[in-house]
Amino acid sequence: MKKHKIEDIFSSMEDFSSIPPPELWGQIEEKLDKPKKKKRVVLWWSAAACLLLGLLLPSILHFTGSSENTNLNNGGLENSKNSFVLDQKTDDNSNIKNLDPHKNIDNSADSLNENTTRKNQLNTESGIQTEKTSVAETNSKNKTNKKDSKYNAPSPANVPNKSVAFQNSGSSEDKSTVKSSSKSILGNSTRKNQPNAESGIQSKESSVAQTNSKNKTNTKDSKYIATSLANTPNQSVAFHNYGSAKDKSIAKSSGKSILGSNSKTSNKAISEERIAFGKQSKFNSTANKQLSNSIFEEQLAAKNNKNLAFNGQSSSVNSNINRSNSPISSNRTDKAVIIKDDLKLANSLSKTDSMQLAELQNLEKGILSPEKKKEEKEKKDNLIDKKERWAVAVFAGVASSENTKNEKTLGNVNNSKQSTSYGVKTKYSINKKWAVGSGLKINELGQSVANVSYVSAKNNAFFTPDSYPVASASNAPTQEYLLISNSTKEAMKSENVQTGKLDQNLRYVEMPLEVSYAIFNKNKASINLNTGGFVGKLISNSVNLDGHSIGENMNANDYVYGSTLSSTVQYQVYKKTKVFVEPAMNYYINPLNSQSFNQFQWGLNFGLNVSF
Amino acid sequence: MKNDREGQLKIYQLFSPVLYGICLKYMKNEDDAKDVFQEAFVIAFQKIGQYKFEGSFEGWLKRIFINKLIETLNKKKKESFFLDVFDPDTDFVEEEELEAMPIEQEKLLEYIRDLPDQYRTVFNLYVFEKMKHKEIAELLKISEGTSKSNLNRAKHILQKRILSIKNFKTA
Repeated sequence: MKKHKIEDIFSSMEDFSSIPPPELWGQIEEKLDKPKKKKRVVLWWSAAACLLLGLLLPSILHFTGSSENTNLNNGGLENSKNSFVLDQKTDDNSNIKNLDPHKNIDNSADSLNENTTRKNQLNTESGIQTEKTSVAETNSKNKTNKKDSKYNAPSPANVPNKSVAFQNSGSSEDKSTVKSSSKSILGNSTRKNQPNAESGIQSKESSVAQTNSKNKTNTKDSKYIATSLANTPNQSVAFHNYGSAKDKSIAKSSGKSILGSNSKTSNKAISEERIAFGKQSKFNSTANKQLSNSIFEEQLAAKNNKNLAFNGQSSSVNSNINRSNSPISSNRTDKAVIIKDDLKLANSLSKTDSMQLAELQNLEKGILSPEKKKEEKEKKDNLIDKKERWAVAVFAGVASSENTKNEKTLGNVNNSKQSTSYGVKTKYSINKKWAVGSGLKINELGQSVANVSYVSAKNNAFFTPDSYPVASASNAPTQEYLLISNSTKEAMKSENVQTGKLDQNLRYVEMPLEVSYAIFNKNKASINLNTGGFVGKLISNSVNLDGHSIGENMNANDYVYGSTLSSTVQYQVYKKTKVFVEPAMNYYINPLNSQSFNQFQWGLNFGLNVSF
Repeated sequence: MKNDREGQLKIYQLFSPVLYGICLKYMKNEDDAKDVFQEAFVIAFQKIGQYKFEGSFEGWLKRIFINKLIETLNKKKKESFFLDVFDPDTDFVEEEELEAMPIEQEKLLEYIRDLPDQYRTVFNLYVFEKMKHKEIAELLKISEGTSKSNLNRAKHILQKRILSIKNFKTA
């Protein structure tokens, strides 16, 4: 008996066919009728959601933080003559009975004393402020009532009631405060500031030294309650409605329909005519009795352009279909191919199995070549997507904090300040175009103020450290400074006034949440556009005067939030390793509560990216 | 043509038996075969505009179906796909020639479908699609050696099945 290999035994299955259950066509029709799911819309929504989340999270933190901060602020007594302000912890009496200067001083002293007793340390955070600007704070040790009295008493300008103002500790941007006269301010302050004063004592927060360049500003500054009250309602988070992107991915109706386009390319035969005949069997086996359609088609394409089926117009197709008995409708299974014009050719082919195989192979190759390339390309792309969804990057760079609003501190313009930043970030690719990312970054926001006037207690017998504790630095306990504004400087006309450069720094550890879109991706290079929000936790807070640390920025928020926009230019240097340059813009929404501070930052990061 | 339901039906009527047959050969159970069949036809109709009249239309359709089948099988990969363990018992056993005996197509189909997914896929691609091991390896993202090994193992299993029938009949 003739022996066969497995392939030979199964060769009858080569053209195996089976009639699908009739309900399948209905299901296919249903799927075809359904509008294609719009991935793009989903992506937009996910991007919008990420962005919203990025902004919402810090907003919540901000509101929580700001409500705490307002409770920490204390009222201040201000001398209107010499513009020096010593902010003290005040109680009700100091505000209500503010008629007698000595009594006022006593009250102030009492409040200080109260602090001293409770904490055994007088927390006098002395700061200098122009209008709404507080600059520096310091802690002085164990000041006694006597000393305070000394300090307060000889102060020639400590005439009460001319202007007693409470520091505006609310948001400087909030303009919804009610302007009122000194009296009404006092009244309001008396009534409403009580809990604040108490809370200030309880929390043992600083009293604020404040200087105002003009008396008129006192009135404006006396917005403590109004601002703090108006703060919350007036702040709102704008939820950008990204809206549902219009569905633009309506399926294009192709002008290259097979039937239609055949009229143009009638010589390109896609001849697919089948005339079924033969025995009925369950599996419509063609076995060795017939040629494969593809062979037939190729032959026709090569030699005979007068083929049937799919000849240009649908009418001809229909007629062909009608003429040929459909395998389904006729329910006949064995198939054969009849070529109208070249019956001989078909017959000769049907006799040669080997030729069939060869033709099949050629045909497959012919079909595969363009298709295969495309498929391979797609697969390659998909492969990249699947395999390299995650990426981790380390980066470091420089950043420059900018004063975009031309704001001033102590009467001088805030200048930009350069700093360094570094961190790690991870990115998850949703698909070829979109990715989401997060990470940790150490970044510094700062500003530099040139020509700041100050009086050094060291060089001034009048402002001895014991008698006038304005500012002292932890690393320079003997050096104490009084920062004054330009207008005050003119008023003082003192020879002891010096000028220097004030550097303010706020260092954060930030966690961004970004959405990234690949706008260019070719060969080894790619360009991504990233946007999102970030939350930052304050880790370092310093104020330097001519290079010497003099304390901390007051009312710096522990949590800061903002938005970021960056562009990443990447180049693949090794298999999964890329180097990148990333210019970025950051906007910090709330670095300080009651002081102008650079909020905008340019950045340029360099880094290494590894995908896996 | 894309939205010409009548034309789509004609194409369906013309090619569905062969294409459904392919689905049955690649998928282990009929429900999966039906699912892939539907999905692949939908894809084919949606992408019909991409057909460039290079090669036969049936060949083009077959490619779509085979790609869809492989994609579906790849999704199942975690379950049972592509075991790549060297097995000297089957990998280097010479193929035994079998006596020719008529076996019904139903039986043959059953044997093929009983093969593990990986072996079945390689066997189908090699025997019916006439693909070379290199091409199979590229398509399935496996090594050429794995493709050969899988084919051998598939043949070995089929051989055993056929021999068991023969022995059964002889007995």
